[in-house]
Amino acid sequence: MHRNSRPKIGLILSLSWFSVCIFCAIFGDFLPLPKWDDYDYDNSAARMFSKGHILGTDYDGSDILSGLIHGSRTSLGISILSVGAALIVGSFLGILAAYRRGFIDSILSMFFNVFLSVPTIVLTLVLVAIFSSPSLDGSSTELPRELVLIISLTIVFIPIIGRLARGTALSWTGREFVLVAESIGMRRREVLIRHIVPNVMPALISLFVLGIGFVIIAEGGFAIIGVGTQPGASWGSMLAKNRGELTLAPHTALIPATVIALTVASLNYYGEYLRSRIDDRESRI
Amino acid sequence: MKLKLIAFNLLRFVTVLVLVTFGITLLVRLLPGDPVGTLMPFATEADRAKLSAELGLDMNVVEYYFRWLGDFIRGDFGTYYASTGDGGGAKVSEMLAVALPRSLLLMLYVIIFSLLVSVPLGLLMAYRAQTRVDNVASNILFALYSIPNFALGLGLAYVVGVKLDWLPVIGYVPINEGFGEHLKSMILPTISLSIGIIALFSRLLRSDIISTLREDFVTMAASKGLSNSWILWRHVFRPSCSTLFTAAALQMGGLIGGSVIIETVFALNGVGMLLTASIATRQYLAIQSLVALTAVAYLVFNLIVDLFYSVVDPRVASHRAS
Repeated sequence: MHRNSRPKIGLILSLSWFSVCIFCAIFGDFLPLPKWDDYDYDNSAARMFSKGHILGTDYDGSDILSGLIHGSRTSLGISILSVGAALIVGSFLGILAAYRRGFIDSILSMFFNVFLSVPTIVLTLVLVAIFSSPSLDGSSTELPRELVLIISLTIVFIPIIGRLARGTALSWTGREFVLVAESIGMRRREVLIRHIVPNVMPALISLFVLGIGFVIIAEGGFAIIGVGTQPGASWGSMLAKNRGELTLAPHTALIPATVIALTVASLNYYGEYLRSRIDDRESRI
Repeated sequence: MKLKLIAFNLLRFVTVLVLVTFGITLLVRLLPGDPVGTLMPFATEADRAKLSAELGLDMNVVEYYFRWLGDFIRGDFGTYYASTGDGGGAKVSEMLAVALPRSLLLMLYVIIFSLLVSVPLGLLMAYRAQTRVDNVASNILFALYSIPNFALGLGLAYVVGVKLDWLPVIGYVPINEGFGEHLKSMILPTISLSIGIIALFSRLLRSDIISTLREDFVTMAASKGLSNSWILWRHVFRPSCSTLFTAAALQMGGLIGGSVIIETVFALNGVGMLLTASIATRQYLAIQSLVALTAVAYLVFNLIVDLFYSVVDPRVASHRAS
């Protein structure tokens, strides 16, 4: 109730910002701007609003606005793919555990708990190290950095989503309408698909939105500790590349930082909004 | 009943601990590349054989795991091989003796600072729930919660460190070189890590206090004519802080190793940075021991929470178990 009294302006702002990001991620290449990896060395570390470079350039002379637009594709792509993949696998495992109970539940819950007891960042670091090194015989079959991040983050997210999906599904399996459905002889699988899954879905969707924000942050963090994408290719790696320039060209690091913060804020806002809608819905059921 | 619960918690702790450390062993074994060639590119055959034995490459995973576990329990975390490639190097435990206090102190400051801010804030927000104070505070906290800690850290470093030149931007000053200087070097990292945690803590406390305020014993206390602040601190706060306590303990567990990004931004050289460096240079033993250490830290704090509940408050314990 309290949340709903919040002005809707926040919702409009956050959705517009996110739409702009999505637009840039899809159509960024067609915009009439310098390429992000065109290094304009004559104009290196240009200030904001300088000629030809609205947001200036970094010390390599790479245009910051184009960097951001190109970075939106990398950052959002990594986030959406990894959280999406983890959502499919994790929610399947979680709902399975909640509905079958017994042995399968114990095994899966143990698996979730084991994974969750290593700090997320540490686990991802190790996974990135495993997937990113060249193969044994030294041939250059190294996976692209983006793919390595996606795979690692997917693995890390599966238990997080799995445990949540299990908890949510568990809270529905005891409800009256599920008991009724079972007592009138509906098959368990049908109960699962007709009654449990549709009720777990909304929570998972809000988790998806919040998860994207989380991965955008994580990607930035990994860029800072040196296991991110190619320098300048994503928002996080732009920030990581330029964070040493705080004294001479602060805007080169602070602009990507602001963009990350704005995107995460709008995703969180929308995710929270969805969650409050779900709470309202569930309190009516 | 109580003993049974404690035994159950301990058993689960040990099981997860063994599974986690074994899983980490498997993961480290999966690290691609030739460990001996990476750590000792120009070694003689004899040296190679020695290193190979040290890394347990001649054993199967289970044998190796138990040898490592024995060393780990005794506090021998392996060798951090030097880049000279002659198989020499420092003991990981000695490097940890430098890095761990830094991470622990950072964690301690973050938790203390977060609690100092969020407890009064949560109380205030709950006491003034649904009013303008509550709304404004909730919205500000929400906005702050969304800022990634490294972005906040960079912003703070720029404003406070570069523009105003009040605090050092990077580097760690040990306590014995002056407590004031030490605190100064820790202020920015502490604030960067705390803001998100403060937002989390005050929201948790706020909602718990609001539900406690609806209890009959609060109405009773109010009708006896006790003052509001007395009721809030003595009657309401204590039964409402169990979620906060849980969250704080879990944060403490997660911050060892989890603070790696802020440690890097402010060049604190804590456990997280030691781990990053080990991964970058393929220090097999160090990676395994350090990851295990972060997991153990997290699990220990988890265990503390579980034991606390099973001993102190049976009502909550049975509630949580159900």
